[in-house]
Amino acid sequence: MTTRALLRVAVALIVGSAVAAQDVALTEGQADVSITLNGQQIIISRTQDTGAILTGEFAKTSRPCPAFCIQPVIPAAGVTPAGELEVIDFLGGNVANNTGLLIDARVPDWFNKGAIPGAVNVPFATLGSKNPYQADILRALGAVPINDGFDFSNALTLMIYGNGPWDAQGTHAVQALIAAGYPPALIQNYRGGLEDWLHLGLTTVLP
Amino acid sequence: MIRSVVALFAFAVVLCGYIVLRPSDNGRAMPVVSNDAAVTRAQTDAILAPVAATAILTNSAVIQAPQRNTAPGINVPVDNSTMVSTAANVLAGLGLNVDPNPDAVEDDPMRRMTAGVLSGIGAVTGNTVTTASQDPTPTSALELLVVQALKEGQNDDYIDTLVNEAATAGTITVPEILVTSDGRVDTHVLLTSIIAQATIAAGGVAPTAPERPEGVEVRIVQRATESQQYRFYTVRSGDSLGAIAMNFYGDVGKYNLIFAANRSTLSSPNNIRVGQRLTIPDA
Repeated sequence: MTTRALLRVAVALIVGSAVAAQDVALTEGQADVSITLNGQQIIISRTQDTGAILTGEFAKTSRPCPAFCIQPVIPAAGVTPAGELEVIDFLGGNVANNTGLLIDARVPDWFNKGAIPGAVNVPFATLGSKNPYQADILRALGAVPINDGFDFSNALTLMIYGNGPWDAQGTHAVQALIAAGYPPALIQNYRGGLEDWLHLGLTTVLP
Repeated sequence: MIRSVVALFAFAVVLCGYIVLRPSDNGRAMPVVSNDAAVTRAQTDAILAPVAATAILTNSAVIQAPQRNTAPGINVPVDNSTMVSTAANVLAGLGLNVDPNPDAVEDDPMRRMTAGVLSGIGAVTGNTVTTASQDPTPTSALELLVVQALKEGQNDDYIDTLVNEAATAGTITVPEILVTSDGRVDTHVLLTSIIAQATIAAGGVAPTAPERPEGVEVRIVQRATESQQYRFYTVRSGDSLGAIAMNFYGDVGKYNLIFAANRSTLSSPNNIRVGQRLTIPDA
């Protein structure tokens, strides 16, 4: 091996290490996002370890279906589908200016293991008509009780997610809201859910 | 030259070693299992013991059947409120604090989850909404009317006339189980229920069902393996589903048992008719 070849190897290794140390940004030129929600600051960024991989629950590929079937991106007509960037924009826009709410539709056990920053846990079952307190939740979402139901004209815009593309909890939440009269135009669905969020190494928080 | 290249190479190897072996921050990729659920329960306040107030109530609303004018064909406007919550709200209006849903077990998971949801939404939006059960203030016109009359110390007959006039005029709506077979509002069962709740709130014993309710017909049906006892009741003038439930179970809240057992002939709880034969299931 010539000295020149050795030099090339050394230079390649140094350059390679420099690449490994580079930030994992959200998008080109944007490393992270800082949002203030009701006086509390949240920062969304990505895991900087380029070798990180998912393990455990969210690494599974083949859960049994029925039970964990592939979910539609649009669970009901008129609902807007969303991805990670839309979720982040939603937090910085609608949620920050009090016109929207990011809803984690999973049961509390899941929510408490880690959730998207700024999300509120509204388990899908609490939105169903079988919950005797359903009306209280609709009121909290800005619906105004009128004679024959609710007036949703000043209701919050909702972004809803579950565990991921295989999990029906978000789908159920969207459908329960629409059955209660919530306008589909005010509902956005992040089907990727926590699994896709984690797959991109995005920040999660423990409530 | 060779020496400097070798030195550079050695440095690169050390650097690579560090990159490979450095402590990874994999931990950030998966959320750590948290400790217990942060969902907390917003409980209703401890039940006050309104002994004195119960006495007042018992005085003004003695259990005596209010006089019933038969005026069939009146369409009483109903709402979907429940008798139990109406009575609780009336009591709340009188300054007594009663759990409007005494049948709900302490650990009603829906109620607990809903309370968690509401506090979660409140934390983000800054708007606080409590569940209706946490906020038992009189809201319906019926509740306000009854509260006002009880505060004035009016007697049962007065309240009965007042409520029925308002219902006929359409200025109030009533829980559907209060509608009698002749289209009036059964204020008797409402007042009885208010007293029952106040008694329970004061630490008293809940009223029990009468030993042998009037007008009941018992049939024993023999089957191959068992004999089943059925009770039937024929609706009379002035009966409401709430009153029938009170007669058989000592609890208007159990009207649902009767309603469910008679769904084939009863379209809604406010639609009972004189002469109708109702199956009365065991409580």
